[in-house]
Amino acid sequence: MGVVTTDGELIQRAADGDRSAFEDLYRRYARPVFGLALRRLGDRGRAEDAVQETFASIWRSAASYRPERGPGAPWVYAVARNAIVDRARARTETPAEIPDEPAREAGPADRAEQSWVAWRVHRALEELPEREREVIALAYWSGLSQSEVAEFLGIPLGTVKTRTRAALMRLSDILGEDFG
Amino acid sequence: MNFDELVGGDDLTPEEERKLRRVHDLLVQAGPPADLPPKLEHPTRPPEAEIVQFPMLPKRRWALAAVAVIALLLVAFAGGYFVGHSKPAAFATRRVVAMHGANAVAVLRVGHEDSAGNWPMVLEANGLTRQSGRGYYELWLTRKGKPVLPCGSFRVAKDTTTVRLSVPYRLQGFDGWVITREGAHDRGRPGPVVLTT
Repeated sequence: MGVVTTDGELIQRAADGDRSAFEDLYRRYARPVFGLALRRLGDRGRAEDAVQETFASIWRSAASYRPERGPGAPWVYAVARNAIVDRARARTETPAEIPDEPAREAGPADRAEQSWVAWRVHRALEELPEREREVIALAYWSGLSQSEVAEFLGIPLGTVKTRTRAALMRLSDILGEDFG
Repeated sequence: MNFDELVGGDDLTPEEERKLRRVHDLLVQAGPPADLPPKLEHPTRPPEAEIVQFPMLPKRRWALAAVAVIALLLVAFAGGYFVGHSKPAAFATRRVVAMHGANAVAVLRVGHEDSAGNWPMVLEANGLTRQSGRGYYELWLTRKGKPVLPCGSFRVAKDTTTVRLSVPYRLQGFDGWVITREGAHDRGRPGPVVLTT
């Protein structure tokens, strides 16, 4: 099993102009950035733009990353958040009037926590082998039962359970630092 | 979804069960990841580098030159993309320097310094006239606007000329670049400036 390059190492290599490192970062983070942008902006087109801006910023400012200040994921998250906030500010339309009713959705702190959890979990999913990621996606978000997942994938039910458990173990290791 | 139905079993230790439940809860909390649109399946080419404006350059001249240089950059990037986008880039650009003259423009892409201290560069000049006889052009680093260190010489044969150069100097102490027109007789002494930053 090869040594996994950390996000921080990839950022540092990108700072030196290493395009393959930049592309690895993209593969790891494009989906989490897009998910974050989509939740925040609520529009796929603008979320796509935010993803492009995020990675352009990463390429431009990778040299500002300081590994002694922490791992790469929070740094990428901060860059993405800035790009998304900029895009949100760029909205031309403003609400006609402020609603009187108290907001029902989560407050800023809760939203930030929720965003961070989704960010880290979706980033961790990118590290799973495809067959485990597939089982997790079907088991958690497709609405299929375990038996239906087994039938859908054409594998025994026991294999579905084994893969699910292996995937959760792997995710636990990946997420351990942040959520242990 | 129910944790026990998904992974529960008597063979889990309490510690394992705690860890798996934690991840299970996080997956539920996170919700499904977004489907990446086809447009975002692959990264767009990262920006080559930022165009560097040297302090000596008057802003108004820069504005005029920028239009021409951007056109040249677009042609260069588009050409590069179609020719070689499936292969790793052989030249990682650290910064791009725009140059301009009366009827010509140039883009100097400066790469990353190697371990020995060499700076690779690619110069793409457009509009320089072909010189008769043994005439050629020379790229110089400038200090206070004056050419002080030669960075390589080249000839042109057609409208656009691309040459690879390398210099071993520390670039920090200079304020710009110029290209001069040289003849065989005045080798070693800068000729008239035809392009400048």
